[in-house]
Amino acid sequence: MDYTEEYQLQIEKIREALGCDIIALALVEPAENLHVLKWQYISGNISERIKKVVLQSGKGIAGGVFKNGKPLLVSDVSEFAARDDLFNYPILRLEKLKSIGATPLWHGGRVVGVLLGGFREPHLMTPEKLQMLISMSKSGMGTLDGKEMMRN
Amino acid sequence: MISDKKEQLVDMMLQMYENSTEAIFFFSSEGKTISMNPAAENIMDVYALEQLKKGAENALCNVCRGYTSESDLTTCRDCYFTSSNHGNFSSFQVFLETVGKGLVPYSATFHVIDDEKGTRVFILRDLSIQFETQTKLQQNTMMKNIIKAQENERKRISRELHDSVAQELLSAVVDLRALKYMTDDKEVLKKTGESTATLIRLMDDIRNLSVELRPSALDDFGLEAAFRSHFKRVEESYGLTIDFRSTVKRARYENEVETVLYRICQEAVLNAIKYAQVETVQVHLLEDGNTLQLIVKDEGIGFIPGENPIGSGLGLYGMNERAELVLGNVTINSEIGKGTTVHLRVPLDENREVAK
Repeated sequence: MDYTEEYQLQIEKIREALGCDIIALALVEPAENLHVLKWQYISGNISERIKKVVLQSGKGIAGGVFKNGKPLLVSDVSEFAARDDLFNYPILRLEKLKSIGATPLWHGGRVVGVLLGGFREPHLMTPEKLQMLISMSKSGMGTLDGKEMMRN
Repeated sequence: MISDKKEQLVDMMLQMYENSTEAIFFFSSEGKTISMNPAAENIMDVYALEQLKKGAENALCNVCRGYTSESDLTTCRDCYFTSSNHGNFSSFQVFLETVGKGLVPYSATFHVIDDEKGTRVFILRDLSIQFETQTKLQQNTMMKNIIKAQENERKRISRELHDSVAQELLSAVVDLRALKYMTDDKEVLKKTGESTATLIRLMDDIRNLSVELRPSALDDFGLEAAFRSHFKRVEESYGLTIDFRSTVKRARYENEVETVLYRICQEAVLNAIKYAQVETVQVHLLEDGNTLQLIVKDEGIGFIPGENPIGSGLGLYGMNERAELVLGNVTINSEIGKGTTVHLRVPLDENREVAK
Protein backbone atom coordinates (compact mmCIF):
# COMPACT_ATOMS: atom_id res chain seq x y z
CA MET A 1 0.00 0.00 0.00
CA ASP A 2 1.48 3.36 -0.96
CA TYR A 3 1.38 6.52 1.14
CA THR A 4 -1.52 8.03 -0.77
CA GLU A 5 -3.89 5.21 0.07
CA GLU A 6 -2.69 5.07 3.63
CA TYR A 7 -3.33 8.77 4.15
CA GLN A 8 -6.75 8.55 2.56
CA LEU A 9 -7.61 5.56 4.73
CA GLN A 10 -6.48 7.36 7.86
CA ILE A 11 -8.60 10.44 7.25
CA GLU A 12 -11.64 8.31 6.35
CA LYS A 13 -11.19 6.63 9.73
CA ILE A 14 -10.93 9.96 11.54
CA ARG A 15 -14.03 11.25 9.78
CA GLU A 16 -15.97 8.17 10.85
CA ALA A 17 -14.75 8.42 14.44
CA LEU A 18 -15.58 12.11 14.79
CA GLY A 19 -18.76 12.06 12.71
CA CYS A 20 -17.53 15.03 10.68
CA ASP A 21 -18.89 16.06 7.29
CA ILE A 22 -15.38 16.60 6.04
CA ILE A 23 -11.80 15.83 6.97
CA ALA A 24 -9.03 17.44 4.99
CA LEU A 25 -5.28 17.10 5.22
CA ALA A 26 -2.95 19.75 3.87
CA LEU A 27 0.68 18.82 3.38
CA VAL A 28 3.72 20.65 2.17
CA GLU A 29 4.57 19.41 -1.28
CA PRO A 30 8.06 18.11 -2.01
CA ALA A 31 10.89 20.42 -3.01
CA GLU A 32 10.39 19.93 -6.75
CA ASN A 33 6.96 21.53 -6.34
CA LEU A 34 8.46 24.48 -4.46
CA HIS A 35 7.14 23.36 -1.07
CA VAL A 36 3.65 24.68 -1.69
CA LEU A 37 0.87 23.80 0.71
CA LYS A 38 -2.23 22.12 -0.69
CA TRP A 39 -5.23 20.22 0.63
CA GLN A 40 -3.98 16.91 -0.69
CA TYR A 41 -6.30 14.45 0.97
CA ILE A 42 -9.98 15.03 1.58
CA SER A 43 -12.81 12.88 2.74
CA GLY A 44 -16.45 13.97 2.46
CA ASN A 45 -15.81 16.77 -0.02
CA ILE A 46 -18.52 17.98 -2.42
CA SER A 47 -16.11 19.00 -5.17
CA GLU A 48 -12.54 18.37 -6.22
CA ARG A 49 -12.01 22.09 -6.72
CA ILE A 50 -10.41 22.66 -3.33
CA LYS A 51 -7.51 20.34 -4.20
CA LYS A 52 -6.40 22.82 -6.86
CA VAL A 53 -6.11 25.68 -4.41
CA VAL A 54 -2.55 26.57 -3.51
CA LEU A 55 -2.38 27.76 0.06
CA GLN A 56 -0.13 30.60 1.01
CA SER A 57 1.55 30.63 4.37
CA GLY A 58 -0.40 32.89 6.69
CA LYS A 59 -3.46 32.96 4.46
CA GLY A 60 -6.66 30.99 4.83
CA ILE A 61 -7.35 28.29 7.39
CA ALA A 62 -4.41 26.06 6.57
CA GLY A 63 -2.05 28.99 6.01
CA GLY A 64 -2.92 30.48 9.38
CA VAL A 65 -2.58 27.22 11.32
CA PHE A 66 0.60 26.41 9.41
CA LYS A 67 2.18 29.72 10.32
CA ASN A 68 0.96 29.97 13.93
CA GLY A 69 1.43 26.32 14.79
CA LYS A 70 -1.69 26.51 16.95
CA PRO A 71 -5.01 24.71 16.66
CA LEU A 72 -7.95 26.76 15.43
CA LEU A 73 -11.59 26.40 16.38
CA VAL A 74 -14.38 28.21 14.56
CA SER A 75 -17.56 26.80 16.02
CA ASP A 76 -19.78 29.09 13.96
CA VAL A 77 -18.46 30.53 10.71
CA SER A 78 -21.10 33.28 10.75
CA GLU A 79 -19.48 34.57 13.95
CA PHE A 80 -15.97 34.18 12.59
CA ALA A 81 -13.90 37.36 12.80
CA ALA A 82 -13.33 37.28 9.06
CA ARG A 83 -16.96 36.50 8.17
CA ASP A 84 -17.09 39.39 5.70
CA ASP A 85 -13.99 38.16 3.90
CA LEU A 86 -14.87 34.51 3.57
CA PHE A 87 -13.66 34.49 -0.02
CA ASN A 88 -10.19 34.40 1.50
CA TYR A 89 -11.04 31.02 2.99
CA PRO A 90 -11.77 28.90 -0.08
CA ILE A 91 -12.33 25.68 1.83
CA LEU A 92 -15.18 27.22 3.84
CA ARG A 93 -16.76 28.64 0.70
CA LEU A 94 -16.26 25.74 -1.68
CA GLU A 95 -17.26 23.08 0.80
CA LYS A 96 -19.97 25.20 2.45
CA LEU A 97 -18.57 24.59 5.92
CA LYS A 98 -20.23 26.22 8.92
CA SER A 99 -18.16 24.89 11.80
CA ILE A 100 -14.55 23.77 11.73
CA GLY A 101 -11.52 22.84 13.79
CA ALA A 102 -7.95 22.56 12.53
CA THR A 103 -4.67 21.46 14.03
CA PRO A 104 -1.04 21.59 12.91
CA LEU A 105 0.95 18.41 12.35
CA TRP A 106 4.45 18.58 13.76
CA HIS A 107 7.55 16.82 12.61
CA GLY A 108 11.12 17.54 13.59
CA GLY A 109 10.26 20.83 15.28
CA ARG A 110 8.38 22.10 12.25
CA VAL A 111 4.81 22.21 11.08
CA VAL A 112 4.55 19.89 8.10
CA GLY A 113 0.81 19.86 7.58
CA VAL A 114 -2.62 20.84 8.77
CA LEU A 115 -5.52 18.55 9.61
CA LEU A 116 -9.01 20.01 9.38
CA GLY A 117 -12.34 18.64 10.51
CA GLY A 118 -15.55 20.41 9.56
CA PHE A 119 -19.33 20.39 9.56
CA ARG A 120 -21.87 21.96 7.25
CA GLU A 121 -23.99 22.91 10.26
CA PRO A 122 -22.88 25.53 12.83
CA HIS A 123 -21.74 24.72 16.38
CA LEU A 124 -21.05 21.03 15.71
CA MET A 125 -17.30 21.44 16.09
CA THR A 126 -16.75 21.68 19.84
CA PRO A 127 -13.54 22.03 21.91
CA GLU A 128 -13.93 18.33 22.82
CA LYS A 129 -14.19 17.30 19.17
CA LEU A 130 -11.15 19.42 18.32
CA GLN A 131 -9.25 17.72 21.15
CA MET A 132 -10.19 14.35 19.68
CA LEU A 133 -9.00 15.51 16.28
CA ILE A 134 -5.70 16.63 17.79
CA SER A 135 -5.07 13.37 19.61
CA MET A 136 -6.04 11.31 16.56
CA SER A 137 -3.69 13.37 14.42
CA LYS A 138 -0.90 12.48 16.82
CA SER A 139 -1.61 8.76 16.94
CA GLY A 140 -2.76 8.24 13.38
CA MET A 141 -0.63 10.63 11.44
CA GLY A 142 2.46 10.51 13.59
CA THR A 143 3.63 7.29 12.04
CA LEU A 144 3.01 8.57 8.55
CA ASP A 145 4.36 12.08 8.30
CA GLY A 146 7.83 10.92 9.20
CA LYS A 147 7.92 8.70 6.13
CA GLU A 148 6.45 11.49 4.02
CA MET A 149 9.13 13.86 5.20
CA MET A 150 11.85 11.36 4.38
CA ARG A 151 10.42 11.16 0.91
CA ASN A 152 10.57 14.93 0.68
CA MET B 1 -40.63 109.10 -27.13
CA ILE B 2 -38.26 109.34 -24.24
CA SER B 3 -41.04 108.88 -21.74
CA ASP B 4 -42.20 105.87 -23.75
CA LYS B 5 -38.86 104.25 -23.37
CA LYS B 6 -38.77 105.07 -19.70
CA GLU B 7 -42.21 103.61 -19.23
CA GLN B 8 -41.07 100.47 -20.98
CA LEU B 9 -38.03 100.27 -18.74
CA VAL B 10 -40.06 100.77 -15.57
CA ASP B 11 -42.38 98.07 -16.76
CA MET B 12 -39.50 95.67 -17.36
CA MET B 13 -37.88 96.53 -14.06
CA LEU B 14 -41.12 95.79 -12.28
CA GLN B 15 -41.43 92.46 -14.06
CA MET B 16 -37.87 91.60 -13.18
CA TYR B 17 -38.54 92.52 -9.56
CA GLU B 18 -41.67 90.35 -9.46
CA ASN B 19 -40.44 87.33 -11.39
CA SER B 20 -36.71 87.15 -10.80
CA THR B 21 -35.27 84.10 -9.06
CA GLU B 22 -32.86 86.46 -7.34
CA ALA B 23 -33.96 87.83 -4.01
CA ILE B 24 -34.11 91.63 -4.05
CA PHE B 25 -34.49 93.86 -0.98
CA PHE B 26 -34.65 97.63 -0.70
CA PHE B 27 -33.56 99.17 2.55
CA SER B 28 -33.87 102.75 3.72
CA SER B 29 -30.83 104.58 5.10
CA GLU B 30 -31.95 103.63 8.62
CA GLY B 31 -31.93 99.97 7.68
CA LYS B 32 -35.68 99.55 7.50
CA THR B 33 -37.12 97.35 4.79
CA ILE B 34 -38.82 99.39 2.10
CA SER B 35 -39.69 96.50 -0.11
CA MET B 36 -38.75 92.93 -0.95
CA ASN B 37 -39.66 90.81 -3.97
CA PRO B 38 -41.49 87.40 -3.94
CA ALA B 39 -38.22 85.50 -4.34
CA ALA B 40 -36.93 87.20 -1.19
CA GLU B 41 -40.12 86.48 0.72
CA ASN B 42 -39.99 82.84 -0.29
CA ILE B 43 -36.69 82.13 1.41
CA MET B 44 -37.58 83.84 4.70
CA ASP B 45 -39.23 82.02 7.55
CA VAL B 46 -42.42 83.44 9.04
CA TYR B 47 -40.81 85.23 11.97
CA ALA B 48 -38.01 86.82 9.95
CA LEU B 49 -40.46 87.88 7.28
CA GLU B 50 -42.66 89.56 9.88
CA GLN B 51 -39.70 91.37 11.41
CA LEU B 52 -38.46 92.51 8.01
CA LYS B 53 -41.88 93.77 6.99
CA LYS B 54 -42.27 95.60 10.28
CA GLY B 55 -38.95 97.25 9.58
CA ALA B 56 -37.55 96.03 12.88
CA GLU B 57 -33.92 96.74 13.68
CA ASN B 58 -31.40 94.06 12.62
CA ALA B 59 -34.24 92.03 11.13
CA LEU B 60 -31.88 90.47 8.60
CA CYS B 61 -29.71 89.10 11.41
CA ASN B 62 -32.48 86.56 12.10
CA VAL B 63 -31.48 84.67 8.98
CA CYS B 64 -28.02 85.98 8.12
CA ARG B 65 -25.20 83.66 9.22
CA GLY B 66 -22.39 86.00 8.25
CA TYR B 67 -20.48 86.82 5.10
CA THR B 68 -17.17 85.55 3.80
CA SER B 69 -14.22 87.84 4.44
CA GLU B 70 -10.55 87.38 3.66
CA SER B 71 -9.98 85.76 7.05
CA ASP B 72 -13.21 83.85 7.76
CA LEU B 73 -15.74 81.78 5.88
CA THR B 74 -18.53 83.37 7.89
CA THR B 75 -18.06 86.51 9.92
CA CYS B 76 -20.11 89.39 11.33
CA ARG B 77 -17.13 91.65 11.78
CA ASP B 78 -17.54 94.87 9.84
CA CYS B 79 -21.04 93.79 8.79
CA TYR B 80 -21.99 94.70 5.25
CA PHE B 81 -25.31 96.02 6.49
CA THR B 82 -23.95 98.59 8.90
CA SER B 83 -20.53 99.24 7.37
CA SER B 84 -19.99 102.70 6.07
CA ASN B 85 -17.57 101.45 3.45
CA HIS B 86 -20.10 100.44 0.83
CA GLY B 87 -17.52 100.03 -1.89
CA ASN B 88 -16.37 96.73 -0.38
CA PHE B 89 -19.76 95.11 -0.76
CA SER B 90 -20.50 95.36 -4.44
CA SER B 91 -19.94 91.60 -4.65
CA PHE B 92 -19.46 89.21 -1.77
CA GLN B 93 -20.57 85.87 -0.44
CA VAL B 94 -23.11 85.58 2.33
CA PHE B 95 -24.78 82.65 4.09
CA LEU B 96 -28.49 82.76 4.88
CA GLU B 97 -30.67 80.31 6.74
CA THR B 98 -33.54 79.69 4.31
CA VAL B 99 -36.88 77.96 4.49
CA GLY B 100 -36.73 74.50 2.96
CA LYS B 101 -33.11 74.56 1.78
CA GLY B 102 -31.35 75.23 5.06
CA LEU B 103 -28.08 77.14 5.05
CA VAL B 104 -27.47 78.43 1.53
CA PRO B 105 -24.46 80.32 0.19
CA TYR B 106 -25.42 83.40 -1.82
CA SER B 107 -23.52 85.66 -4.08
CA ALA B 108 -24.67 89.08 -2.84
CA THR B 109 -24.40 92.70 -3.73
CA PHE B 110 -25.28 95.52 -1.37
CA HIS B 111 -25.06 99.11 -2.49
CA VAL B 112 -26.63 102.55 -2.37
CA ILE B 113 -28.83 103.35 -5.35
CA ASP B 114 -30.05 106.72 -4.16
CA ASP B 115 -27.39 108.90 -2.63
CA GLU B 116 -29.83 111.55 -1.46
CA LYS B 117 -32.17 109.29 0.49
CA GLY B 118 -29.55 106.65 1.17
CA THR B 119 -31.71 103.85 -0.25
CA ARG B 120 -29.85 100.65 -0.61
CA VAL B 121 -30.47 97.49 -2.60
CA PHE B 122 -29.52 93.98 -1.50
CA ILE B 123 -29.55 91.31 -4.21
CA LEU B 124 -28.95 87.62 -3.57
CA ARG B 125 -28.15 84.90 -6.07
CA ASP B 126 -28.25 81.23 -4.98
CA LEU B 127 -24.81 79.64 -5.31
CA SER B 128 -25.55 76.17 -3.95
CA ILE B 129 -25.73 74.46 -7.36
CA GLN B 130 -22.44 76.00 -8.43
CA PHE B 131 -20.96 74.90 -5.13
CA GLU B 132 -22.12 71.35 -5.65
CA THR B 133 -20.70 71.26 -9.16
CA GLN B 134 -17.44 72.59 -7.85
CA THR B 135 -17.25 70.08 -5.00
CA LYS B 136 -18.02 67.25 -7.42
CA LEU B 137 -15.32 68.45 -9.78
CA GLN B 138 -12.86 68.70 -6.93
CA GLN B 139 -13.74 65.19 -5.75
CA ASN B 140 -13.29 63.79 -9.24
CA THR B 141 -9.92 65.40 -9.74
CA MET B 142 -8.84 64.29 -6.30
CA MET B 143 -9.95 60.71 -6.94
CA LYS B 144 -8.05 60.59 -10.21
CA ASN B 145 -4.93 61.97 -8.60
CA ILE B 146 -5.21 59.45 -5.78
CA ILE B 147 -5.54 56.61 -8.29
CA LYS B 148 -2.44 57.81 -10.12
CA ALA B 149 -0.43 58.30 -6.96
CA GLN B 150 -1.46 54.86 -5.68
CA GLU B 151 -0.48 53.24 -8.96
CA ASN B 152 2.94 54.91 -8.98
CA GLU B 153 3.64 54.01 -5.39
CA ARG B 154 2.59 50.42 -5.95
CA LYS B 155 4.85 50.23 -8.97
CA ARG B 156 7.77 51.50 -6.94
CA ILE B 157 7.31 49.13 -3.99
CA SER B 158 6.60 46.22 -6.29
CA ARG B 159 9.82 46.82 -8.25
CA GLU B 160 11.78 47.21 -5.06
CA LEU B 161 10.48 43.90 -3.67
CA HIS B 162 11.01 42.07 -6.91
CA ASP B 163 14.38 43.47 -7.89
CA SER B 164 16.20 43.85 -4.62
CA VAL B 165 14.60 41.97 -1.73
CA ALA B 166 13.78 38.82 -3.71
CA GLN B 167 17.18 38.89 -5.43
CA GLU B 168 19.04 39.11 -2.14
CA LEU B 169 17.04 36.19 -0.82
CA LEU B 170 17.93 34.19 -3.88
CA SER B 171 21.63 34.79 -3.20
CA ALA B 172 21.11 33.51 0.33
CA VAL B 173 19.45 30.36 -1.05
CA VAL B 174 22.35 29.79 -3.44
CA ASP B 175 24.81 30.22 -0.56
CA LEU B 176 22.92 27.68 1.53
CA ARG B 177 22.88 25.21 -1.33
CA ALA B 178 26.61 25.54 -1.71
CA LEU B 179 26.93 24.08 1.80
CA LYS B 180 26.42 20.56 0.53
CA TYR B 181 29.82 20.74 -1.19
CA MET B 182 31.46 21.84 2.04
CA THR B 183 30.26 19.23 4.52
CA ASP B 184 29.03 15.66 4.70
CA ASP B 185 27.35 16.15 8.06
CA LYS B 186 23.84 14.76 7.52
CA GLU B 187 22.40 16.71 10.46
CA VAL B 188 23.71 20.02 9.16
CA LEU B 189 22.57 19.29 5.62
CA LYS B 190 19.09 18.34 6.81
CA LYS B 191 18.77 21.57 8.79
CA THR B 192 20.04 23.73 5.94
CA GLY B 193 17.67 21.92 3.59
CA GLU B 194 14.80 22.97 5.82
CA SER B 195 16.10 26.53 5.98
CA THR B 196 16.33 26.59 2.20
CA ALA B 197 12.71 25.49 1.97
CA THR B 198 11.65 28.25 4.35
CA LEU B 199 13.62 30.83 2.39
CA ILE B 200 12.10 29.68 -0.89
CA ARG B 201 8.64 29.93 0.60
CA LEU B 202 9.46 33.41 1.85
CA MET B 203 10.73 34.34 -1.60
CA ASP B 204 7.46 33.10 -3.08
CA ASP B 205 5.51 35.19 -0.59
CA ILE B 206 7.49 38.26 -1.54
CA ARG B 207 6.99 37.59 -5.25
CA ASN B 208 3.26 37.15 -4.67
CA LEU B 209 3.16 40.39 -2.76
CA SER B 210 5.03 42.13 -5.52
CA VAL B 211 2.71 40.78 -8.20
CA GLU B 212 -0.34 41.68 -6.16
CA LEU B 213 0.88 45.25 -5.85
CA ARG B 214 1.56 45.58 -9.53
CA PRO B 215 2.44 42.76 -11.90
CA SER B 216 5.70 43.45 -13.69
CA ALA B 217 4.27 41.37 -16.54
CA LEU B 218 1.93 44.26 -17.20
CA ASP B 219 4.83 46.62 -17.79
CA ASP B 220 7.07 44.12 -19.51
CA PHE B 221 4.77 41.92 -21.61
CA GLY B 222 1.42 43.66 -21.79
CA LEU B 223 -2.17 42.94 -20.97
CA GLU B 224 -2.65 39.40 -22.16
CA ALA B 225 0.35 38.05 -20.30
CA ALA B 226 -0.59 39.94 -17.13
CA PHE B 227 -4.16 38.69 -17.37
CA ARG B 228 -3.10 35.08 -17.85
CA SER B 229 -0.81 35.06 -14.85
CA HIS B 230 -3.33 36.93 -12.75
CA PHE B 231 -6.08 34.44 -13.60
CA LYS B 232 -3.79 31.54 -12.82
CA ARG B 233 -3.16 33.03 -9.41
CA VAL B 234 -6.87 33.61 -8.85
CA GLU B 235 -7.57 30.00 -9.73
CA GLU B 236 -4.92 28.84 -7.33
CA SER B 237 -5.93 31.13 -4.50
CA TYR B 238 -9.69 30.95 -4.67
CA GLY B 239 -10.47 27.75 -6.56
CA LEU B 240 -12.35 29.72 -9.21
CA THR B 241 -12.07 28.99 -12.93
CA ILE B 242 -11.67 31.93 -15.27
CA ASP B 243 -12.60 31.43 -18.88
CA PHE B 244 -10.40 33.97 -20.66
CA ARG B 245 -10.69 34.81 -24.34
CA SER B 246 -8.73 37.45 -26.12
CA THR B 247 -9.21 38.50 -29.72
CA VAL B 248 -7.11 41.65 -29.73
CA LYS B 249 -4.59 42.11 -32.48
CA ARG B 250 -2.08 44.29 -30.76
CA ALA B 251 0.15 43.03 -27.99
CA ARG B 252 0.71 46.40 -26.36
CA TYR B 253 -1.35 49.46 -25.71
CA GLU B 254 -0.61 52.73 -24.02
CA ASN B 255 0.66 52.17 -20.53
CA GLU B 256 -2.27 54.04 -19.01
CA VAL B 257 -4.85 52.06 -20.97
CA GLU B 258 -3.26 48.79 -19.92
CA THR B 259 -3.25 49.80 -16.26
CA VAL B 260 -6.89 50.85 -16.35
CA LEU B 261 -7.99 47.66 -18.08
CA TYR B 262 -6.00 45.48 -15.72
CA ARG B 263 -7.26 47.17 -12.57
CA ILE B 264 -10.89 47.21 -13.64
CA CYS B 265 -10.70 43.56 -14.62
CA GLN B 266 -9.06 42.73 -11.31
CA GLU B 267 -11.80 44.56 -9.41
CA ALA B 268 -14.61 42.99 -11.45
CA VAL B 269 -13.22 39.47 -11.01
CA LEU B 270 -12.68 40.03 -7.30
CA ASN B 271 -16.27 41.21 -6.99
CA ALA B 272 -17.42 38.01 -8.67
CA ILE B 273 -15.30 35.98 -6.24
CA LYS B 274 -16.61 37.88 -3.25
CA TYR B 275 -20.28 38.21 -4.02
CA ALA B 276 -21.48 36.29 -7.06
CA GLN B 277 -21.15 32.79 -5.54
CA VAL B 278 -19.97 31.25 -8.79
CA GLU B 279 -17.25 28.84 -9.76
CA THR B 280 -16.60 30.24 -13.23
CA VAL B 281 -16.15 33.76 -14.52
CA GLN B 282 -15.87 34.70 -18.19
CA VAL B 283 -13.48 37.38 -19.30
CA HIS B 284 -13.38 38.58 -22.88
CA LEU B 285 -10.91 41.08 -24.26
CA LEU B 286 -11.68 42.40 -27.72
CA GLU B 287 -11.15 45.24 -30.12
CA ASP B 288 -14.14 46.62 -31.94
CA GLY B 289 -13.38 49.29 -34.49
CA ASN B 290 -11.62 51.93 -32.54
CA THR B 291 -12.51 50.79 -29.06
CA LEU B 292 -10.82 48.32 -26.80
CA GLN B 293 -13.38 46.39 -24.80
CA LEU B 294 -13.33 44.20 -21.75
CA ILE B 295 -16.26 42.10 -20.68
CA VAL B 296 -16.33 40.35 -17.32
CA LYS B 297 -19.36 38.14 -16.98
CA ASP B 298 -20.63 35.78 -14.30
CA GLU B 299 -23.80 33.81 -13.92
CA GLY B 300 -24.05 34.33 -10.21
CA ILE B 301 -26.65 35.68 -7.83
CA GLY B 302 -26.54 39.23 -9.21
CA PHE B 303 -27.61 42.41 -7.46
CA ILE B 304 -29.87 45.38 -7.94
CA PRO B 305 -27.76 48.31 -9.21
CA GLY B 306 -28.13 51.33 -6.95
CA GLU B 307 -29.32 49.28 -3.98
CA ASN B 308 -27.39 49.22 -0.72
CA PRO B 309 -24.20 47.36 -1.60
CA ILE B 310 -22.91 44.48 0.54
CA GLY B 311 -19.41 45.90 0.43
CA SER B 312 -18.36 49.53 0.55
CA GLY B 313 -19.78 50.28 -2.89
CA LEU B 314 -16.56 52.12 -3.61
CA GLY B 315 -15.28 49.47 -6.00
CA LEU B 316 -17.90 50.22 -8.63
CA TYR B 317 -17.33 53.95 -8.19
CA GLY B 318 -13.59 53.44 -8.54
CA MET B 319 -14.06 51.48 -11.77
CA ASN B 320 -15.86 54.43 -13.32
CA GLU B 321 -13.23 56.85 -12.11
CA ARG B 322 -10.47 54.72 -13.54
CA ALA B 323 -12.24 54.39 -16.88
CA GLU B 324 -12.63 58.16 -17.07
CA LEU B 325 -8.87 58.49 -16.77
CA VAL B 326 -8.55 57.15 -20.32
CA LEU B 327 -11.84 58.61 -21.59
CA GLY B 328 -13.50 55.22 -21.33
CA ASN B 329 -16.73 54.16 -19.69
CA VAL B 330 -18.00 51.24 -17.66
CA THR B 331 -21.50 49.83 -17.78
CA ILE B 332 -22.63 47.34 -15.20
CA ASN B 333 -25.65 45.17 -15.81
CA SER B 334 -26.91 42.90 -13.13
CA GLU B 335 -30.06 40.97 -12.51
CA ILE B 336 -30.98 38.95 -9.46
CA GLY B 337 -30.49 35.27 -10.17
CA LYS B 338 -29.05 35.85 -13.64
CA GLY B 339 -25.64 37.28 -12.97
CA THR B 340 -23.58 40.35 -13.58
CA THR B 341 -21.79 41.77 -16.60
CA VAL B 342 -19.19 44.51 -16.41
CA HIS B 343 -18.48 46.09 -19.78
CA LEU B 344 -15.59 48.49 -20.23
CA ARG B 345 -15.03 50.46 -23.41
CA VAL B 346 -11.89 52.48 -24.00
CA PRO B 347 -11.45 54.53 -27.17
CA LEU B 348 -8.09 54.04 -28.87
CA ASP B 349 -6.03 56.62 -30.75
CA GLU B 350 -7.62 59.45 -28.81
CA ASN B 351 -5.79 62.48 -27.71
CA ARG B 352 -5.75 61.68 -24.05
CA GLU B 353 -3.92 64.79 -22.98
CA VAL B 354 -7.24 66.49 -22.31
CA ALA B 355 -8.07 63.99 -19.62
CA LYS B 356 -4.81 64.43 -17.79
